[in-house]
Amino acid sequence: MKKSSRAPSKKFTEHKSSMRLPGGWQLPPFGVHQVLALAIVAVALWSVAIIWLALQGGEQWVGSWQDEIKVHVYVDKNQQESLASLQANLRDIDGIEDVRLVSDGETQAWMEKWLGGEDLDAASFSKHLPASVEVTLQEPRGVTVLDEIRDVAAAQSAEINEDELQLVEAGDVLGSIQSLAWFATIILAMAMALIVSNTLRMILLARAEEVHLMRLMGAKEWFVRLPFVLEGLLLGAGAGFAAWILMWPLIWFTADWQSNLSVDLSGWVLLLPLIFGGAVVGALGALIATANIVAPETDS
Amino acid sequence: MIHMSNLMMRYKTGKVALSGINMDIPQGSFVYLIGESGAGKSTLMKMMYGGIRPTSGQLEVQGTKVRDASEHQIRELRQRTGIIFQGNRLLNSRTIFENVALPLRVQGWDAERLLPRVKKVLSFVGLEDRLWSYPETLSGGEQQRVAIARAMLSNPSLILADEPTGNLDDDTARHVLDLLMALNKLGTTIIMATHDLHLLTSHPGLVVQLRQGALVTGQQHEKV
Repeated sequence: MKKSSRAPSKKFTEHKSSMRLPGGWQLPPFGVHQVLALAIVAVALWSVAIIWLALQGGEQWVGSWQDEIKVHVYVDKNQQESLASLQANLRDIDGIEDVRLVSDGETQAWMEKWLGGEDLDAASFSKHLPASVEVTLQEPRGVTVLDEIRDVAAAQSAEINEDELQLVEAGDVLGSIQSLAWFATIILAMAMALIVSNTLRMILLARAEEVHLMRLMGAKEWFVRLPFVLEGLLLGAGAGFAAWILMWPLIWFTADWQSNLSVDLSGWVLLLPLIFGGAVVGALGALIATANIVAPETDS
Repeated sequence: MIHMSNLMMRYKTGKVALSGINMDIPQGSFVYLIGESGAGKSTLMKMMYGGIRPTSGQLEVQGTKVRDASEHQIRELRQRTGIIFQGNRLLNSRTIFENVALPLRVQGWDAERLLPRVKKVLSFVGLEDRLWSYPETLSGGEQQRVAIARAMLSNPSLILADEPTGNLDDDTARHVLDLLMALNKLGTTIIMATHDLHLLTSHPGLVVQLRQGALVTGQQHEKV
């Protein structure tokens, strides 16, 4: 007996791989409940990823990543005399940061760039372009600023770049969508936490006797709860990684569409948010599940 | 070892489970706690490991005043107390090794460190060869011996046994009691709640009788 009690036997080595001593840093066995929870949370995280990916594309499309929002107002070169009053009237609008006349040199440089370096005379082309006034808008922007710019331009017989105005308005819509995206993310995160919590609660119920016994033998609370919190954390992080993998086919399938809109979606920027977000949600679910374990004093 | 003074327990329902118990149990005693169902045996046992707290009076177990003890002190008391539950309460999904290892596992011991200790206590109860079996494959008597091995693993100075022979035939019950007696001879205080009064004839000890929550007798039972 003494001999076998000192050195771990061959049988012990065999059993050690399947041994799962309860409590502490030891994870509970991974079963069908966990697989189901992982799949559901992965799909939910995938939905969140798609929402933020779409926002990323929208932001690239409207150019809201730019620090300043600018619109251009054009005046025919035959009406040069009204240019000064146009600039003055635009400056009078509340919510305008700056108004400046675009120089001929800048116009020519833009034309050369637009022509793509082809062997054409950009200078002669740019002579036929109208005079351009660049208006920089203040942020945050008042709701009437764009209409006022339109009114001033119309009064001075100037033309406004409507495409730019539409992008500015699209940027406003994206701002609202971003708030909705945050709202959806929070709601989905809560739902995911509840799914993880429910799964862990089922496991806890199945192992209630074990938890009870550990407490009766003087286990510390963290020792009893840690395996479940670890499991929630890993389950969430695993679901986050699965959601990230599932996101790539969507990025690849929309490659042509992205190219047409000059959008380049990046899946990599979502890797860490998905994994850490999933882990946080999983840990939160585990904390909710274990918070309801009956307190030791009322256990008996 | 254990000191009780005007010990009283009244449940929220108003039922008085224990009333005015005064008793001292010295270190190394073997105590039978007897009485009818509902006499207060289980309440007293639970109180001795801090499962419930007295409503009034004093209960001091191994230097811990149960009524005023913090949760940390209760945990420490439980780590120094071996408990044999009614119906043994082994975990059927875990091996005998994992079951027996539990009291020291909760104190952070790892498998390598636990193995020799678990083997030692299992050899004491004669089940060393069942280390990797599951409880369901053992007979009732063997399961109760595993429960004893689990209770003695952390070498506690006090073992509380709640009806450890309840579902066993006479021969097996005597064998279980032999083991508890052997532990007692090694210096462990044993408090055993039981209905099997006939066991007292072959295994003498201090008998404490409860009736409706009150102490009836506390005397040395002579071997017949």
